[in-house]
Amino acid sequence: MKDIHSLGVKSLTGMLVLMISAPLVISLYFNIFPPVGPFLSGFLQAAMIYLPIAVAEYFTFVPILGPGGSYLAFVTGNLTNLKIPAAVVAMDQAGVKSGTEEGAVIAQISVAISSMVTILVVLIGMLLILPLQPLLSSPVLAPAFENILPALFGALGAHFFSQHRKLAVVPLLSTMILAATVIYVFKLNFQSIQGVLIPVLGLISVASALYFYRIGWIKKEDIE
Amino acid sequence: MNPLTLANAGIVYIVCAVVVLYVFILCIIYLRHGLQRAKELGISRETIRSTIRSSAGFSIAPSIPIILALMAMMGVLGIPFPWMRLSIIGSFQYELMTANIGASAMGVSQLGSSQMTPQVLSNAFWVMTLGIPWGMLLAIFTMRKFSTGLDKARKKDATKLTLIITALYFGMLSVFVGPPLVQGGLPLYTLLVSAAMFLLLNALAKKSKIGWLSDYVFTFSMLGGMVFSVLFSL
Repeated sequence: MKDIHSLGVKSLTGMLVLMISAPLVISLYFNIFPPVGPFLSGFLQAAMIYLPIAVAEYFTFVPILGPGGSYLAFVTGNLTNLKIPAAVVAMDQAGVKSGTEEGAVIAQISVAISSMVTILVVLIGMLLILPLQPLLSSPVLAPAFENILPALFGALGAHFFSQHRKLAVVPLLSTMILAATVIYVFKLNFQSIQGVLIPVLGLISVASALYFYRIGWIKKEDIE
Repeated sequence: MNPLTLANAGIVYIVCAVVVLYVFILCIIYLRHGLQRAKELGISRETIRSTIRSSAGFSIAPSIPIILALMAMMGVLGIPFPWMRLSIIGSFQYELMTANIGASAMGVSQLGSSQMTPQVLSNAFWVMTLGIPWGMLLAIFTMRKFSTGLDKARKKDATKLTLIITALYFGMLSVFVGPPLVQGGLPLYTLLVSAAMFLLLNALAKKSKIGWLSDYVFTFSMLGGMVFSVLFSL
């Protein structure tokens, strides 16, 4: 199957059918279906939260990953903490750009490898969950897992921001102002709204980049 | 029946294992397809090897919190269903939140409370399944058009498209780099240590002739940040 879109549509349709058959088989086997009212109410609540997020994420992530990587990443999930960083790093090392055919192929290979590693790690974790529990949930290791995102994005930021400093100014300053407002004025947990903010900051970042490009502060050689 | 006995029943394991196996096979198909395309485009074997090494090494550490999420969910939703959900589409916050929505829609204030019944569990499973497939649906119905549109934009003005994509990515990076900078404390120190380690290791990888080092610079920097946060908290 050469055409990535035909592979994508077929494999994702198969995935949807299988995914839905999981609760269906369980419900049929034990003969426990949820009553329609509560199910619809739960479904609508979840849809109201996730549908807008998904639409925004879709338009943010597909241009970065290209079609092949995107199809697979929407099946395997964990985009911000695994698939996007892995693919962007791989494209950077290979010297290819997002949005080109070469970039899309490298991203596709990267997403496939990253997904396989995650599935295997989580499988091992599931099989060994009882012996692993005291180790992984020990208070000594807790800070490492609580700070995995700063550890991950510290390295990514150092690399990519220093590569294109001018592009980093507006999104980084905007996030810092937003975060300061959320944390110190509204006293909210910033992590709870991080997912919603990715497309918002994406828009701010794109708008400012296009403006700087138009007025000539960011030039062609700044992004190549 | 006790809802947890149901959630951990053999049949639930089998059904969930089938779904995870399907996804794993998909990964292999996409990998082979990608490798084939890479060959046609003349991408060197060394580049492919480096892509595989770097993506694999990079993905191990961020996968471990998923096991922690599974540990947090297994007490109320059993092991197999959360395992399946976390191995595919969902992330921890999404899954736990939708499971809670499913339970509260049945009038159960909290997952795992004594009011849990098999029906509440079943509602949680259904809401988790049908509440979050939007990215997949969008991909099925719009990806061909969207990606053709992007190709056209690239032909029209490649620089502009690269600029837009880089800016999108920078928006996402900022969302994770910005907060520790204003929050301070351990997240900030971890961010700085990992950034410093990256700059150091990257310079070392470029200077030395150790070819494999550059494939693991991000992985080592991330691990360095994590080790630092443990040592700092001792």
